[in-house]
Formats: sequence, structure tokens, C-alpha cells
Amino acid sequence: MILIKCPYCGERDQSEFANGGEAHVIRPKNPESLSDKDWGEYVFYRNNPKGIFYERWVHTHGCKKWFNAVRNTSTDQILKVYKVNEKRPDLSEFQNTLKSPSGEPSVGSGNFAVKK
Amino acid sequence: MSAINNNCKYISKKQVKITFDGNTYQAYEGDTIASALLRNNIRLVGRSFKYHRPRGIYTCGIEEPNALVQIISEHNEPNTRATIKRVYDGMEITSQNRWPSLRYDFGAINNILSPIFSAGFYYKTFMGPKGFWKNLYEPLIRRSAGLGKPPKNFRSKSTHQYHNTDVVIIGAGLSGLAAAKKFINTKYKVLLIEQDSYLGGVLKNSNKVKTINGLTPQEWISETEESILNSKNITILKNTLVTTYNFTNHLIALEDKFAGKKIDLNKSELTLHKIRTSNTIIANGHIERFISFRNNDLPGVMLASSFEKYIHRYGVVPEKEPVIFTNNSSSLSLLKTLINLGCKPKAYVDSRKKDNIETEIKKILKDKEIPFFSDAEIEGCDGNKKVETITIRQGKSFDKIKSSMLCVSGGYNPDIHLFTQSKGLVKWDKNILSFKPDTPFQKTITLGSTSGNYSFKKLCDEINEKLSIFKTKKVSLDINLNVPNKFSIKELWETKIKNKSNWAKSFIDLHNDVTTKDLKQAITEGFDRIEHLKRYTTNSMGTDQGKISSINSLAIVSKILKKEISEVGTTTYRPPYAPLSFAAIAGRSTYEFYDPERKTSIHSWHLKNNAVFEDVGQWKRPWYFKASENETMHQAVQRESKTLRENAGILDGSTLGKIEIKGRDALEFMNLMYTNAFSKMKPMTSRYAMMLGEDGMIKDDGIICKISDQHFIATTTSSGAPKVLADMEEYLQTEWPHLQVYLNSITEQFSTFNISGPKTREIMMRVFPDIDFSNDAFPFMTFKNFDYKETKIRIMRASFTGELGYEIYISPKFGLELWEEIFSCGKEFNLIPYGTETMHLLRAEKGYIVIGQETDGTVTPIDLNYNWMIGKNKKDFIGKRSLSRPDTSRADRKQLVGLSPINKKDIIEEGQHIVELNELPKKITDPIKYLGHVSSGYHSPNLNHSIGLAMIRGGKNLLGQKFFVTATGKTKNIPVEIVNPVFIDPENKRLTS
Ligand SMILES: [Zn+2]
Repeated sequence: MILIKCPYCGERDQSEFANGGEAHVIRPKNPESLSDKDWGEYVFYRNNPKGIFYERWVHTHGCKKWFNAVRNTSTDQILKVYKVNEKRPDLSEFQNTLKSPSGEPSVGSGNFAVKK
Repeated sequence: MSAINNNCKYISKKQVKITFDGNTYQAYEGDTIASALLRNNIRLVGRSFKYHRPRGIYTCGIEEPNALVQIISEHNEPNTRATIKRVYDGMEITSQNRWPSLRYDFGAINNILSPIFSAGFYYKTFMGPKGFWKNLYEPLIRRSAGLGKPPKNFRSKSTHQYHNTDVVIIGAGLSGLAAAKKFINTKYKVLLIEQDSYLGGVLKNSNKVKTINGLTPQEWISETEESILNSKNITILKNTLVTTYNFTNHLIALEDKFAGKKIDLNKSELTLHKIRTSNTIIANGHIERFISFRNNDLPGVMLASSFEKYIHRYGVVPEKEPVIFTNNSSSLSLLKTLINLGCKPKAYVDSRKKDNIETEIKKILKDKEIPFFSDAEIEGCDGNKKVETITIRQGKSFDKIKSSMLCVSGGYNPDIHLFTQSKGLVKWDKNILSFKPDTPFQKTITLGSTSGNYSFKKLCDEINEKLSIFKTKKVSLDINLNVPNKFSIKELWETKIKNKSNWAKSFIDLHNDVTTKDLKQAITEGFDRIEHLKRYTTNSMGTDQGKISSINSLAIVSKILKKEISEVGTTTYRPPYAPLSFAAIAGRSTYEFYDPERKTSIHSWHLKNNAVFEDVGQWKRPWYFKASENETMHQAVQRESKTLRENAGILDGSTLGKIEIKGRDALEFMNLMYTNAFSKMKPMTSRYAMMLGEDGMIKDDGIICKISDQHFIATTTSSGAPKVLADMEEYLQTEWPHLQVYLNSITEQFSTFNISGPKTREIMMRVFPDIDFSNDAFPFMTFKNFDYKETKIRIMRASFTGELGYEIYISPKFGLELWEEIFSCGKEFNLIPYGTETMHLLRAEKGYIVIGQETDGTVTPIDLNYNWMIGKNKKDFIGKRSLSRPDTSRADRKQLVGLSPINKKDIIEEGQHIVELNELPKKITDPIKYLGHVSSGYHSPNLNHSIGLAMIRGGKNLLGQKFFVTATGKTKNIPVEIVNPVFIDPENKRLTS
């Protein structure tokens, strides 16, 4: 159970929040002008990286506000939270904070407990 | 024979009586079940998981793999570790996993059959023939697998407690207490957590430490505990086990509030502590490991430090003349303890070379004339349900010694479970032959033997150094020892078996009955990765997580693979550290507190009028009303449905979700959220509307009331309301923040009644004599607000039955009063109350769909022939673009049709498949072409035959054709005709007149 800092309420238990998937996927302004493929990309395709991920959260059992967070998916560390109308923080901001428990491979189960 | 250690200060002299398998035994207050049984010379306490081999007490703590018992006097609590559960007077205990009795267990035949139970037997054995799984294997496994039986008729009162602290110290042994001492009277808020009821750890469990700062261990513990208690910033939790170490320093600990006492059913017996801390200090010590040899599971084999713990902590010497088998220097402590009590071991077997064995050990053995075997090992032991003879191998010669107990020490593992749970990395240490913590991932500090420091003398420096990040004073520890300060060990994991037989087994996992042979076999079969090996053999997958054996298995595997242990790696230890009772996890969220029940303002009336309820989301809704005691559901629904179409009926629709949408841009917002076009809609009119997902699939439906362009009220399905509101809110906040719209859930602000049937207008005129209900004044799909007594009501002309109908909205405060008024006016018109089942039947007759019945997340409005609901001229709405995707506009999508049986007596049931065959073949060789399924099926009392709604491939073009629906349990199919789904009043005359 991780702690998440709601930009409006402060640090709260994860159980108060719901995850909304990848952030910065903007609904096309004019869907009719999109090709089937492009529209399909918007509706069905999302990234699922191991490492730094920009994602949406909503403080469901709190202020009910949506906000964005940057999370390291391999460690569950939330590196930054910011409001929806704030600028997407640059990736370079987090790269050197990337801490993987064992310098494990960039793809894999994460079942590594022994220091190499 | 056992003996008593009168010097033990941790056991009271108060006698208690317990029963084990029906026999009564004397014990002392403070005993665990295990110490009480050992006191009474009971060695056989259970049968093993797979082979049903006799098992005894192997350890003296949480790591116990064998001695699991069922506590009958505690609501039948199963799988209780006898080594930690404390007794009280009248405690009733039984052994587990045996039938008919512990001594004569039928399942022990599995031991003879053991070749079929070898590694991977779950995956290999039960493969065929067909039907054997269901009829033979599964019932057999279900009866013989598992250990205890689940508790019965018990409602736990467990509670949860939350903490926010600066420092948590896990374990109040020597290291934990010394660390806590540093925090006395500082600004740090500290929680000191100890699983035992006494502080002190190794100090009270062994003879290893002679004095600390000039005090005896017990004096030092008391002095330290007192100063901690006097310090306001430190809280001690005893009888509390930290089971889980999550991310962001979140710990879960289980406190046994009734340790050693009979549970008071009026009080909370367990507390689950949920702790947020800034720093965690792990000082929960080490766990001794065993050595695999032939029949190392016989009752009477026990870990050496556990044997010693029984003497110091519980005052019971399990056996006066045991054999000691060790590969390290720590067993000196046990040897001295026994000698001091006047007991004499039968033999001392040390796998180390004579030169490497401490002089003090050799001296004692020589002085006391104890048979001494150096550079030797135990080959195995034999006996009937207990250890009787022990075979010692020294070089090429074998000695047999008679003794009933064998104390084994294979070295010590730092207890790294919590550290690895925290995602810390461990490293192999050649000096202690074990993994020890290396790089913490969180703010975690490990101290003492947990950190791999087995030197008492170095402990003080370690604590002062590692805790220097805190603003605390230095602590000093001047420790005098009974054992050598330098830990010495020789690698030994398994000894060789002399003569092979089915009975001769060398176990690596006692809990799950895995032998060293299984490990070798699994590797031969290609399972050479440790995570695969674990799952294939079930090694260390028991509830003890292989605490005394998992490192041994890694070592044995690494030897076979000719790899370093660090290369083989370790499997990940997972929370919980020890089994957590479900009762503790659930806490108070059980029964009626698990999920709240929502009741309408009319609920009491429904109860009085024999309603049978149905759960819809959290709501209790009348399903049908029983007109008489003997009326069946079918009879009730047929009666309600017929009466409504002939007279009138009323439904409590208060559970329908209602959302108020207000603001400058409400119209634009509604046009985006729903398929329908709302711009040209006149104020004070309403419309049936649909909400889609971006994929074009129907999510919810409801009636939208337009009060003005800036004010709408949307109704939703009863269970979909929270989701619809959340979706609306999400789009407003994230996609269209420029829209000025406010949303409000008003579901509970209104009682809602749906009254319909041909006599409805007359009834309404009686109830509201001042209102003009004529068709011109009050047409279909319009609504009006009125004053009613001292409140206001809204009446809308709408219907879900296909008959003339009205929906009445009133404050719940006046709901029941109005409901009763309607009934008194409706009496002469034969007005009846009806429930959800009749509602569903009537709407099916009319061809109206129900979300979640006709739709399942793969249905578009076009599939339902609801093209008229789509605002084609709107530039955009949620899901619009997807309706023109090639897949969504396919002609052979499943589409809504009606079904009518050709033989009018046949019954069409929900869930049946629609096929082209009139009969199913006896033996099915090729897949049968599946056309679709029946989504709703009812007996229509108004048509007097069965009707169905169905989703069929390309259904729109199949009108008038004949197909078949499969009948449950029969091969003969039911012939049906594809018809218009609107069975009643397709011209909508009843609705609109
Ligand atoms: Zn918030």
C-alpha cells in the first residue's frame, strides 16, 4: 500500500485513490476526421512501460479530483504529482532518480533479491 | 523423559488443564501448546501433508513446519502453530490431517505409494482418463489435502488500528532493546514490536549471554524495559508479529490480544496494526536451520536452539539424554545448559574437524565422558512413530546409539524475510553460510544477527554506527559470553543415505513433504531455475515458507548445478511472514458491515406486504410480492403482470440513479455525454437516452429530463449511478475543463414511483384532483412540477411497461404517505404493487432492453435497432466515431430480435444458445455453429406463451426464419421463429393515448 500525495489534500493512503491509466492521452478534438487506425490507437492502445510512467489518478474517496503522477512502475515510487492543467514534467527530471532494486533488466518479472 | 528447569522465571507455577485429542494434561500458565505437550512427554502431534508421516515438534517458534493443531475451544481455529500458541485452562486441542486417529492414520498408505507423489505429482498424476478428475481425483485430493478444518459459526470482532511513527523497531531482543534504549526521551516517536509476551529474545531463550553491563540477562531486560516504559516517546507492543513490510515503509502487524487467555467473545481478539513509519529497524534475529538426513522428520528430531529455548523460556527439558548433532560452534550453549541441569547428552556429533572444534566443547565432553564424534554426521534415525535409534557415520564406520531425541543445528540464517519484502537486496556471506541484508531499498536498518552480525561483542558498535543518523546518545553494552564470540561453521546440508527404501526419506521441506530426492529429480526434468523448481516441487511453498530449510535447498541445488549459491539466487519471500487470520484482515468489515444495505423510504411497507427482495447493487428492491403464503414466484409474477396490463400497478423506483446537471454549458455537455440530440428538445420534456463508451458500446441508459438548456436531470440504472456520475465528472475535469457544468447526485433526495396500466389515469386523478392528466394537457414524455400538501412533487409521463404510465418524484420524507394515499385511491381500480421481476417481464413483452441483460459491453445502439437515438447531426459525442469503425458496422454483428416458440408450449430460457440444428448429435465431433444467445426469456401471461429476446448474428435480416434454441440437459432443440422484439402494442397506442 503506497502513499500518494493528492495535490489538493496531501498525502493519503492508496486505498483512497483509483488509477486512471496513462496520462496525457488527449481526446481528439475532431474524431470524425481521424482514420480508423488513428481513432483505434486513441481508444484501445496505451503504453505500459517498466520504469517511468505518466499516469492519472483520482482521489475517489476524498476530493474526487483527477490529477497526474509520475511513477516508477518497477518500484511503485511516485516521483511527482501535478494537477491536470500543469505542464507535463520532462523525463530528464526523473532519469537519475530511477532506482531499480537490483539493477535488474529493463524487462522482466522483478523477482530479483540477490545483489549481483 | 522430560525434566523441569526450576530456574525458569517466565513460566508461572499456576497449573492449568488442557486436552489434546481427548486426553487431559497438566500444564503451566505461560506454556505454549508445544511446551505443555513436551512436558507431558507427548512427541507425536500430527501427520504430514502429503505422506501422512508421523510428525512431532520441530522448533520452538514461528518457524514451526510440523506441529500444527486445531483449537476446538476457539471456534475450531485450524493450523495453529503449537509452538507459539499459549495455553489456558480448559483449552481443547486436536491433531490434524489424520483419520481415523493420530496413531493409526489411513492416509499413511501415501507413504508406501510415495513414488507417485514425487516432484510435480500434481502436474503429472491426474492427467486422465477423461472424467476421472471430476469423479475421482478431485474429491480424493479435496479430502486428503490441506491440514485443519475451517472454523464454524464464528463472528470475529477483530479490529484495525493505525499508527504514524518516526521509528519502528521490529524485535525486542538484545539488539532491539539496545536500539530502543538509544531513543529513550528523544523527540522520536518509536514503536517497539515484539512477537513474544516477554522482551529479551536470545537473552531469555538461551544460555549464550552471561552478563550485560554487570547484570544478569534477566536483570538487564527488566531494567531496560522499565526505562523504556518510563520514556513517553516509546510504545511497546507485545504478542505482536510484524507480518508485512510494504512500500513506503508501511508495515502490518498482528497483535494477539488473548495470548494465553481464553477468548472473550465480547471483545476483539486480534488487532491488525497498520503502521506508517519514516524509518524501520529490523532486529528480529535469526532462524536456525536443519540438516537433511534419513528420516529427519521423525518425532523426536528437534532444532538444537529450540531445544534450548524450551529449557530457558518454558522451563521444560524435552529430553534428559538427547544426541546433539551440529556443524557449528553455537551448540556449546545447549551443551552447557544440559550439563548445568545435571543432564548428560548420549552423544555429541560435530561435522567439523576435531582441530576446528572449540577447546571448551572438547573439554566438557571429555570431563563428562560424553561420546564425542568429530568429523562425523548423522546418517539417519529409526523408530516406530518416534526416534529410537540414531545412526552416526564417522568416516567409513557406523555407530548406532539409542536415544529418543536428536538435537540438530545446521547453522543460522539471518531472518531476512521482512528485509526482502521491503525490496532490499541480500548478499551471500561465506562466514555464516547464509544470505544477509546488503542494500536496503527503503529507509531500513538491520541490526544484530538479522544483519548477519553473529558477534555479540561487535553489536554495540554496530548499533551506535547504524543509528548515528538519529540524534541520540551512544549506548554501551559490556557483554560476557557463555559461547565463543567467533562463530565457526562447516558447510553441511545433507548426509548420504546408506540403505535406500520407500520409508527412508531425507526431507528438505517438512511442511510440504518435499525430499532432497524431489529436488534432484526436478532438476533432471529440466526445472533448474530456482523459481520454477520451487513451484514444481512445492519446496518452501508451505505456510512456514521454508524458514528452517529454504537456504538448505538453495545450497543443495547449487551443488547439483555446480554453481555458486549467489548465482542460483533465492526465491522472493512474500508477505505475510506468518499466516494471518482472515478474521484479522477483514476486521469489522463483515456481514452487514461488509457492504452497506440501501433501503428506500417505502421499505417498511414492502416488508408488511410480503415483498421478496432482490439485491440490486447495494439496494434492496422488491422482487415480487406474495399475495398468499403458498404463491410461488412464477404465480406471483404472472398475476402481477396480467393485473397491470388489465388494471394498474405501481413500482417503487426510488433506487433509480438520479443526477442533476446544471450550469452555463449543461446542454453542450449533455450533447457530448449521450447519443441523443438535446438541442431541439423543448423544456419540461424528457427523452430516453443512451450513454456509450469511447468504443461505441452501450454503458448505461436512462431518461433525461430537460428543465432548461442550463438544467437537466438524468436518471441512470440502479446499479450504474455511481459509475455514470464518476464518468461525467472525469470528462468534465480532464477533457472539457472549459465547460461550466456542476454535477450532483440526487438519487436519495427523491422517492420515485412508477405507476402504469390502463386504469392509471383514473387513479392519478383521484390522488391529485387538481391536476389535468388529459392526453393534451399532459402528453407522453413531458413532466411538470406541482405543489402537494406542504411539499413539491414532479410528475413525468413515462413508462417502462408499455402501458400508460407516470413517474412521481417526491421528497422521501413524504414518500410513504403518498404511496399509501395512492393505494387507498387505487383500491377500487385493483391497483397492485409489483416488483422488479414483473417489471422485467413487462418490458420484455414490449421489447425494451435492460442494461447488463441485452447488453454486455459489446453491444452498440445500432445492434439494438436504436438508430433513432443517435444524434447523427451532432458533430461529436462519446463513442460516436467508433460506431463507424469497420467492426462496429459489420452486418453480421449480433443484433436484437424477438423469439417466439413454434410449439407454443415450449419454454425459452435465458442463456440458451441459438443454433441451426433441430437436434444435437449424440457425439459432438465438430463445433456446432453458434448463432447467438437468448438474453431474456419469460412466460408471457398476456400472450399466453413463452417469449424471448435474443442477440443473433445478422438478426435484423432473419425476421420470419426458423431456428432452434438448445434445451438444458436435452439433445432435442426447441424450434423458434425470429420475430419483431416488440410483442405488445408495436404502434405505441397504449403509451401515447
Ligand atoms: Zn484529494
